[in-house]
Amino acid sequence: MVSTHIKKFDTLVVGGGIAGLQTALDLGDQGYKVAIVEKDASIGGKMIRLSKVFPTLDCASCITTPKMSAAAHHKNIPLFTYCNLTSLDHDTSNEALGVKAVIIQNPRYVDPDKCIGCRQCEYVCPIYVSDEEQGGLSATKAISIPFSNAIPQLPIMDIENCMLCGQCEKVCPTNAIDYFQKPEEFIIQAKTAIITTGFELLPKEDNFQYGSGKIPNVVDSLQMERLLAPHGPYNRVLRPSDGMEPDSIAYVQCAGSRDKSMGVPYCSRVCCMYAIKQAMLLSGSLPLADITIYYMDIRAFGKGYEQFYQNAKAMGIEFIKGKVARIDAGENGSAIVRYENQDGSGIVTANHDLVVLSMGMIPGWNPAPICPVSKDSDHFITSIKPKISPVLTNMNDFFVAGAAAGPKDIVDTVTESGSAAMEAAKFMSNSIMEN
Amino acid sequence: MSPQAKKQENKILILATETCAYPGADSVGQAHSTYPANTYILRVRAPVLFPESFYFDCFKKGISGIIVMSCGEECPYEGAFTAMAKRLDGVYKKMKAMELDLKRLRLTAICTVCNRSFLNEVNQMDKLVRELGPPIFKK
Amino acid sequence: MTEKNTDNKKVGVYICYCGGNISDHVDVEEVKKRAEKMPNVVVARTNMFMCSDPGQELIINDLKSGKIDRVVVASCAPSLHEATFRDAIKRAGSNPFIYEHANIREQVSWVHHGEPATDKATILIASAAAKANLLTPLDPIRVEAKKHTTVIGGGIAGIKTAIDIAQTGINVALIEKSSLLGGQLNNLDKLAPSGEKASEVLQELLDQILTHKSITIHTDCEIEAVQGYVGNFSLSISKKSDNKIEKLNIETGAIVMATGAIPYIPFDGEFGFGQHEQVITLQNLIQILKNNKSTGSILEVNGKRIRNIVMIHCVGSRQIPGIHQPKEDGKLNEYCSRTCCAAMLNASNQIKENFPATRIYEMYRDIRTYGRGQEELYTQASANKVVFMRYEANAQPEVSLTRDSDYPFQVKVKDSLTFNEEMDVPADLVVLATGIEPDDVSGLASMMKLPIGTDKFLLEVHPKLRPVEFPITGIFLAGTCQAPMDVGEACNAAGAAAVKASALLRKGFIELDPFVAEVNPNKCQGHGACIEACLKEGALTLVEVDIDGKTVKRAQVTAAMCLGCGACAAVCPEKAIDINGWALKQYEDMVDAIVSDGFAV
Ligand SMILES: Cc1cc2nc3c(=O)[nH]c(=O)nc-3n(C[C@H](O)[C@H](O)[C@H](O)COP(=O)(O)OP(=O)(O)OC[C@H]3O[C@@H](n4cnc5c(N)ncnc54)[C@H](O)[C@@H]3O)c2cc1C
Ligand SMILES: Cc1cc2nc3c(=O)[nH]c(=O)nc-3n(C[C@H](O)[C@H](O)[C@H](O)COP(=O)(O)OP(=O)(O)OC[C@H]3O[C@@H](n4cnc5c(N)ncnc54)[C@H](O)[C@@H]3O)c2cc1C
Ligand code: SF4
Ligand code: SF4
Ligand code: SF4
Ligand code: SF4
Repeated sequence: MVSTHIKKFDTLVVGGGIAGLQTALDLGDQGYKVAIVEKDASIGGKMIRLSKVFPTLDCASCITTPKMSAAAHHKNIPLFTYCNLTSLDHDTSNEALGVKAVIIQNPRYVDPDKCIGCRQCEYVCPIYVSDEEQGGLSATKAISIPFSNAIPQLPIMDIENCMLCGQCEKVCPTNAIDYFQKPEEFIIQAKTAIITTGFELLPKEDNFQYGSGKIPNVVDSLQMERLLAPHGPYNRVLRPSDGMEPDSIAYVQCAGSRDKSMGVPYCSRVCCMYAIKQAMLLSGSLPLADITIYYMDIRAFGKGYEQFYQNAKAMGIEFIKGKVARIDAGENGSAIVRYENQDGSGIVTANHDLVVLSMGMIPGWNPAPICPVSKDSDHFITSIKPKISPVLTNMNDFFVAGAAAGPKDIVDTVTESGSAAMEAAKFMSNSIMEN
Repeated sequence: MSPQAKKQENKILILATETCAYPGADSVGQAHSTYPANTYILRVRAPVLFPESFYFDCFKKGISGIIVMSCGEECPYEGAFTAMAKRLDGVYKKMKAMELDLKRLRLTAICTVCNRSFLNEVNQMDKLVRELGPPIFKK
Repeated sequence: MTEKNTDNKKVGVYICYCGGNISDHVDVEEVKKRAEKMPNVVVARTNMFMCSDPGQELIINDLKSGKIDRVVVASCAPSLHEATFRDAIKRAGSNPFIYEHANIREQVSWVHHGEPATDKATILIASAAAKANLLTPLDPIRVEAKKHTTVIGGGIAGIKTAIDIAQTGINVALIEKSSLLGGQLNNLDKLAPSGEKASEVLQELLDQILTHKSITIHTDCEIEAVQGYVGNFSLSISKKSDNKIEKLNIETGAIVMATGAIPYIPFDGEFGFGQHEQVITLQNLIQILKNNKSTGSILEVNGKRIRNIVMIHCVGSRQIPGIHQPKEDGKLNEYCSRTCCAAMLNASNQIKENFPATRIYEMYRDIRTYGRGQEELYTQASANKVVFMRYEANAQPEVSLTRDSDYPFQVKVKDSLTFNEEMDVPADLVVLATGIEPDDVSGLASMMKLPIGTDKFLLEVHPKLRPVEFPITGIFLAGTCQAPMDVGEACNAAGAAAVKASALLRKGFIELDPFVAEVNPNKCQGHGACIEACLKEGALTLVEVDIDGKTVKRAQVTAAMCLGCGACAAVCPEKAIDINGWALKQYEDMVDAIVSDGFAV
């Protein structure tokens, strides 16, 4: 890491989820040069990992891949995936230069210029590891392309688990395997930065009321998305512990949200809708199963959402007003849900084959200590003008969009990303005019 | 390997939309699933392009089965799916009059990761055309 | 070899090994030999990695030397490298549209094995070559575009859109039907959730818009007609001023609809509204709080001390067919109005914090404080001792006048938070959380052929892929004309619409895909079947032309509007219209190649 190259762009987009892609496309289409820096091995964020999406129930892959490939093929948008941001700030050496980011390209142990994405290495690799892309519900190889529609189509070698057998190196038709690849540092200078680092779910492991992640068939909602995806771990919805088709499935809403003692005080905004969506998809794939949603308020506020909710009710999905206080392991892999019925009738218990936790959303990235942009009390990036322009931050050349500025569904994320691109473009055209 | 290709019977033509079904077929390839090789996938923008006569010409030329793999209601060309579905209704009527088995023509929606549906459709059509053989036109 | 090339194209076929990915299952050299024998194929070559520089060089050299003029690459899926090879062709100085792809990895070697794989690869190449033979060089369609946008509606969304677009160097006309900018914000006070004054929020943007050199504001204006297409719209407008009506015309490149929404007005007798002056809407309450000067521990309205307020949520929103009573026009508002929960709690908190002795009962179905900072309003309201009571859609609260009570009203509610017990809550004031309804823009919508959804709001192309666009290229939407939104969300939508409009117009011309319908003037007989089949009004028209002194009708394509779907090509009895780059004729030849086993037998 001696010589550090400097790459110059108009805008640096941090995070290649749908927010980052949309904002980059909107700027790229205006003629600005935009770099997307993504920590994962593929762009696409959470959205590419979903099954189908409310309220239109279209296939998540079918509407994410066009944006992913539009960005990947865009002449103004280079992608830097599998990268770590180690610093992001104004260029202190020279304010006029704007934004400066120090980035480390993590080694894939595969030469990206040689690799043709054929996956021969993956097929010969003898080591199986847990597939985090499938919610840890199935296995993949120690060298593998993260998922079928990943962009770029480059494998990553899991060096921790690799036993250096050399089989991939032998089979690779392009000699792309490089066991000695090193992390490489580079610098991006840009006039503006847009933060689109998205969200993560609260880890269910931290929540002892819901079994600290130890009760077998209690999964989080992102794992359920994988179970429902046509290219999911089992190709159909089965209980992870024993492969049984669940007859009774429960959703626990506000799991960790709207309650400081359980997680976070705010509403996570999308979990009501995705639970209803998943319930609808489940009743399609398991028509005989009973599906129950335990909730306090159903927040179906967006365009077409209330109608979506009423459809779900009409389909026979059961909605019970009640806050789930505790989940325990039951017999034969089932889980016992204890909830306080809101009608005042007290504590009730119910047994379910599979329980899905609609876990709260927390920021995907904590800027401190590497970036001085300010955070609000909810830990998401502060919007200094939440009415006139929610994408403005306390730094005049830094903008924010998507779930990085608070939980948000895809529709609101996409429009907000356009708005962030607009503000960045305005900032850059102002600075041109001033010069 | 034989130096010359053998004449292949029972060909299946697949009209696959460029935004949904065609990438869907690629996804089956990425998964290295196998399906019968008598299938020929043509990438189309919107199958509404094809007139009724196209389908009959194909059958006359010796194509045994046709699967239209569309985007369904998610078709990016507003109104095209409905117009195409209506056209196929007309094709079915004529097929009936010609005593062609209606199952030789299938309309289905395939998404970019619908691997199983894709395989189902292809395998079913393959089974069918093997049973029926090439279409025979009674005057 | 000579006879097969009369007036035909010289196709070059390039087959990739993909380092074994293809060649392990497909006998690539055998395919090459067969390809050499295909009609119009003048050269076939193989390479270990076609996408590598040496692979691309093969194509470039053959093009440059004039050996070939059409290219077929047989390799991986087109989604991966079609763009790569088109670029290579461009670098050779040729037109990138003389290219066709044969997908022999994802759709052959990875799914079939052995001889059938080799045969299928052959056939796919033959069919690609058959198509290549019919390909013609194409150029993107260039439409001159006025660097000017018209924004319709001068609410916060319209104002923000206009400022954003103007900032990128494009002139803007803002058309407002009333005499005042600001829309609904003029009726609001402290905005939920964080209490900014609506007037200050508005003023900040007004200061920018009123001084902006490239924005012209037209108030008191009505749009009478809209003509044209992307880049070249023309609007006829009538402007009322001092009892006379002035006409003006605006030539514009793009249009943004920002016509907003209007508050729901309850029907006469809905929860006693219109019959008792102490039954008011949320908008009324906001006005009262805005103008309220009273101090003391209890709220006074029209000189009356308000001890108890009952607030009823979801009035005119979330209506369910069969349960709720439609208005006279039969319309039910099935959607949630999104902003009323937070606005209601915001008002409750203001009352409780200023007039702690006034008691508030909120009767709700769900509290929808979904947004950033909104849940705090709810928590705060609970801390402020607002009483929450929950009713079911099929058991709405009933407001009735009392005779012998000290309170003018009594509101009966079945509270599902307490065993569904029926309760009577006495009240001095009843506030209805009325939501919003779309403004009637059906006239404008039909002028521009804009779709309206079942909820009567304007309908975007796709909520996730293209949320601020209409299917009509060059027309966008922003703000509450699309759906209920709060101010921040409306401003985000405005920014998103603005960025699309400025990307479209920034160069002064627009380049569209060349894949559009083209009429063969020698074949067209003017039947007009294509026009009926066309899915896009205005893309195809019959025009009169002079042929040998006779006036005849011929179909004409407006390329800027054509979708390129091919609905027209399917119906033309003369086969006189087809899609450039994706022609029906090309498919027919591809099928011929397939049925003849790639001419390889
Ligand atoms: C279970 C579930 C189901 C859902 N279903 C739906 C649905 O049906 N419909 C709907 O509209 N919404 C749905 N959502 C919400 C949807 O996922 C979000 O709206 C959307 O993903 C937000 O996009 P984003 O780009 O802002 O964030 P993300 O998708 O989180 O993307 C952020 C990106 O930034 C990257 N990143 C983070 N930190 C860094 C860093 N330091 N450096 C570089 N890169 C970084 C991440 O790796 C990621 O790729 C669902 C959410 C969940 C949890
Ligand atoms: C009771 C109530 C309380 C609210 N409280 C809050 C709150 O606390 N916080 C918050 O963030 N949001 C709140 N909102 C929402 C807020 O009012 C909207 O988000 C905002 O006003 C939307 O702005 P807009 O520009 O989209 O539409 P509008 O404000 O409706 O503006 C539309 C403009 O277009 C004009 N127009 C319409 N048709 C035509 C035509 N044919 N030609 C020309 N011009 C036309 C109209 O005259 C109007 O000026 C509240 C809304 C209501 C109803
Ligand atoms: S085998 Fe080589 S070329 Fe193929 S995916 Fe693996 S590293 Fe890339
Ligand atoms: S969206 Fe629904 S489930 Fe999620 S935190 Fe909010 S109220 Fe709870
Ligand atoms: S062009 Fe495609 S098939 Fe050929 S080497 Fe490159 S990746 Fe492999
Ligand atoms: S925001 Fe609240 S009051 Fe308004 S319609 Fe929705 S649920 Fe009802």
